[in-house]
Amino acid sequence: MADHERMFVSAGGAKIEVLRGGRGRPLVALHSSEGNLGWLPLHQRLAAHFTVYAPTHPGYDGSERPPCLESFIDLARFYPWILQELGVGKATLLGHFVGGWLAAEMAAMCPEMVEKLVLIDAAGIKPQHGEIADIFLHGVEGTLALSFHDAARAREYQSLFMPGKSPEERARHTANREATTRYCWKPYAHDPMLPLLLGRLRVPTLIVWGREDRIVPLECAQMYRGAIAGARLAVIDRCGHFPHLERPDEFNRVLSDFLLR
Amino acid sequence: MFIMRFTERPYVAYTEEQVRSSFRSAVRLTFSNANFNPEIGARVYDEAFEENQYAEEAGFDGIMLNEHHNTPTCMGATMNLEAAVLARITRKPRIVLLGNPLPIFDNPVRLAEELAEIDMMSHGRLVSGFVRGTGIESWATNTNPIHNRERFEEAHDLVIKAWTTPGPFRWEGKHYHFRVVNPFQLPLQKPHPPVWIPGVGSPETLVWSAQHRYPYIYLETDVESTVQMMSIYGHVARQMGYQAGPQHFGYLWRIHVQDTDEKASAVGKGFLIGNAGIGRVPLPVDFMAPPGYNLRGQLSPQVQELYKKPLRHDPLYGGVDAANWEQVTATNRVVVGSPRTVIKKIRQGLELLRPGILGVWSNDGTISHEDSMRCLRLMKEEVLPAVREIARELELPGPFETAP
Repeated sequence: MADHERMFVSAGGAKIEVLRGGRGRPLVALHSSEGNLGWLPLHQRLAAHFTVYAPTHPGYDGSERPPCLESFIDLARFYPWILQELGVGKATLLGHFVGGWLAAEMAAMCPEMVEKLVLIDAAGIKPQHGEIADIFLHGVEGTLALSFHDAARAREYQSLFMPGKSPEERARHTANREATTRYCWKPYAHDPMLPLLLGRLRVPTLIVWGREDRIVPLECAQMYRGAIAGARLAVIDRCGHFPHLERPDEFNRVLSDFLLR
Repeated sequence: MFIMRFTERPYVAYTEEQVRSSFRSAVRLTFSNANFNPEIGARVYDEAFEENQYAEEAGFDGIMLNEHHNTPTCMGATMNLEAAVLARITRKPRIVLLGNPLPIFDNPVRLAEELAEIDMMSHGRLVSGFVRGTGIESWATNTNPIHNRERFEEAHDLVIKAWTTPGPFRWEGKHYHFRVVNPFQLPLQKPHPPVWIPGVGSPETLVWSAQHRYPYIYLETDVESTVQMMSIYGHVARQMGYQAGPQHFGYLWRIHVQDTDEKASAVGKGFLIGNAGIGRVPLPVDFMAPPGYNLRGQLSPQVQELYKKPLRHDPLYGGVDAANWEQVTATNRVVVGSPRTVIKKIRQGLELLRPGILGVWSNDGTISHEDSMRCLRLMKEEVLPAVREIARELELPGPFETAP
């Protein structure tokens, strides 16, 4: 039997793509600015303990976007409808960078639908001292160069970030870049109100960060921890913006400690 | 034929080395303004105004201005200011703005007011072009590029309505919201100043221009591509029930004339420095076209069939070392020469493209003010009279000679 299935649900007239696999309580893995990169080893590991849903956000390649859905806040307030159509009740939300920001927004908006929250090098909060690196201004290659402390350590790097050059792949890549531009351009990759709203959260929260993240500075991890009561922060050394790719063993240990205990 | 004079008013007092050391080695957007000296900038404006005043005497029908941001290649960051000055220091020529970049304006009503003031101050000489702006304009003003075309179209509709519909009225659009639109500054020309659309050939803009019957001005596109793109306009015009003619087409062309071919070639090479990073280093693609700036898949199959713009190497681009000046001049990508040579080359281009509007980009880059003035004098004495004669012979009426 296949380890996961690809399915579609309809919300607000938009056809939404979802990858689903595993058994157990629901866990929703929210992809980041690159779009849905498919059923990843991380999903497969989680599927041993959870029913894992990996939806493609509206407007990214694979999912339609209702025309009036324009801002990141629009995305966050639309998303519970998708989860409702999937029949997902209370779920663990997990996301990296833009996906982490989305998880935090949804949790702040509808805390009752969140079992646990996992934020991995998440966007969403404007740092007080540093800056979230401008992934648009750096361009694709420049952003990749900033993303890893040591890209050679990330076994999946090549397959995930060096896609082929076929017209279809280029079109997918472009669609995903455009969707991120639509949602994250201004204010860039943050919501000024988010830190305030996170104050109402009472859900168990894990914040995981690469100490050498040059996209979202570590300062943001500390701000997330300060904003969410009882949140746990795990900082992984010698690690950049993608801890689940660059330091998968340590990342999985931290994640299992939090999710399975 | 309507003939207008153009220069980008470039600032060139910097080195290629300085550009290369900027973020992503770009002459626009991220090249630090610490490299800019306002005293030299002041001189650039002085010279450009003097040249444009003389352009009136030389017999040009119009003076064309443009606008760019975060770049030394064009000192016009708010061209409406320059237009207001031209309104008072010239008397006859049209002031042709090609164009105000609509998407970057958060308040198009203010723009409608500014343009109406220019039209009144110039006693009805404004031609109000509108553009989407390059991607750099989106970056520099932090306008989400994904909304570029939507904002272009909505701002256009709002400006035209502000000019033509008695206020007060309310505007609740997608990107613009106004409680009370009621500007007292209204254009002198009725129903509103002519609107021309310049561009490098985005098919969507060609379609939109043809639908609005606005003349489209090709900005120094290579001749073969231009012919192909003109067919898109013509195709849409037929669908709309009219026949597109020379009055619907303009062509901006780098044309520099000196007393001899040798001198013109040596001086004209200055075109390779300055504009668009041409002559310095290439710009990152996503600076000129950030994600979402170009729409995908929204063209009709017929237009897609017509739009096969070749992506061949352009010998004009890539920097002084990479450019091929001999090829550039041999193919008339840039026209340089003595009056006799230039007239001959212009005839070839007019026969092929048949525009009713000719933009003469007389000087740019490192071409000096003195050489530019000499060029304009030779235009007055020899080139313009001859071009007018050719245009009559080829039957190329401009938009003010034939109803659009």
